[in-house]
Amino acid sequence: MKLVIDSDRCKGCNLCMLVCPYRIFKEGKDQNERGIIIPELDRPERCPNCRLQRLYGRTVCGLCQMICPDQAIRWDDEKENEPQKVVIEF
Amino acid sequence: MSFRDWYRIDRLPTIYCVGCGNGTVINCTLHAVDTLGWKWEETVFVSGIGCSSRAPGYIKTDSLHTTHGRALAFATGIKLARPDLHVVVFTGDGDLAAIGGNHFIHSCRRNVDMTVICMNNWIYGMTGGQGSPTTPRGAITTTTPYGSGEGVFDLSALAVVAGANHVARWTSYHVKELTRAIQTGLETPGFSLIEVLTQCPTAYGRRNKLRDVAETVEYLKDHAILLQKYNRLVQEGKPVPEDMFTVGEFIRRNRPAMGVPP
Repeated sequence: MKLVIDSDRCKGCNLCMLVCPYRIFKEGKDQNERGIIIPELDRPERCPNCRLQRLYGRTVCGLCQMICPDQAIRWDDEKENEPQKVVIEF
Repeated sequence: MSFRDWYRIDRLPTIYCVGCGNGTVINCTLHAVDTLGWKWEETVFVSGIGCSSRAPGYIKTDSLHTTHGRALAFATGIKLARPDLHVVVFTGDGDLAAIGGNHFIHSCRRNVDMTVICMNNWIYGMTGGQGSPTTPRGAITTTTPYGSGEGVFDLSALAVVAGANHVARWTSYHVKELTRAIQTGLETPGFSLIEVLTQCPTAYGRRNKLRDVAETVEYLKDHAILLQKYNRLVQEGKPVPEDMFTVGEFIRRNRPAMGVPP
């Protein structure tokens, strides 16, 4: 699983930056085609939900998805043969 | 199934302003409803007029978008005709406290089996920022340009006195607690009110030095005091910090309820 911000729905309120305990969301720099600065992802493979969602059968943490007022954050399956990166911080 | 399946994808993104807390409240409500395993065809969302009341338009279930302040009257009607349906009411502070005030206290008194989620953003956001009964003292709005000089309506205390079965208050920062409170409210037979304090950066924030969304949410987080802690401070005779609001579960009881299917 990988963390994805839907650039069609995000309005750039940066509430995800406030709640993420891993500080995965960073303030973006460039405007997208709608003139909205969406947050950037800083090493999203650190997100525990990416690794553990399948194993536990439920959403782990998930604060960013719950607080996102525009339903822009989701976890997608990787495509076949897509390289996966796993980083675990101690 | 996840709570995201309840959204009407073709209606998204919402028309809410950047950083509006109403989207968070819809997320939490749908998560609670989804956890309980309710079906789309057995659930009805009712709303009045206002920013908050646009919420049922983004949800796949049947819904009523009713006249200003009368959402509770329509919800009572639904319960009267079809007691087997689950009724959830989305409403705002101007809708519930100002114009629908009488409907509100009498729905509490009758204890009709429904869940009311009040998104309290301290202002009439949609109509241009007029002061509402829940605008804090000293806050600047378009109708109170020198600061509001009136007292504040405490909706949760009012619901407790009027006889609701379950009353809780949280903010849009406390998503997990809010989801749990809504779930308890949906499970409780009888009237349950969940008051959610949300941020309104456009109408309220820019006039009251809370223009930044993250700052407003930090304000909500810092000024919330848990009910148990508040009671302990009062019991020990210690001073309670000013301009704090209590959050938590105010009451849960078993008064006889109307509209509960046998």
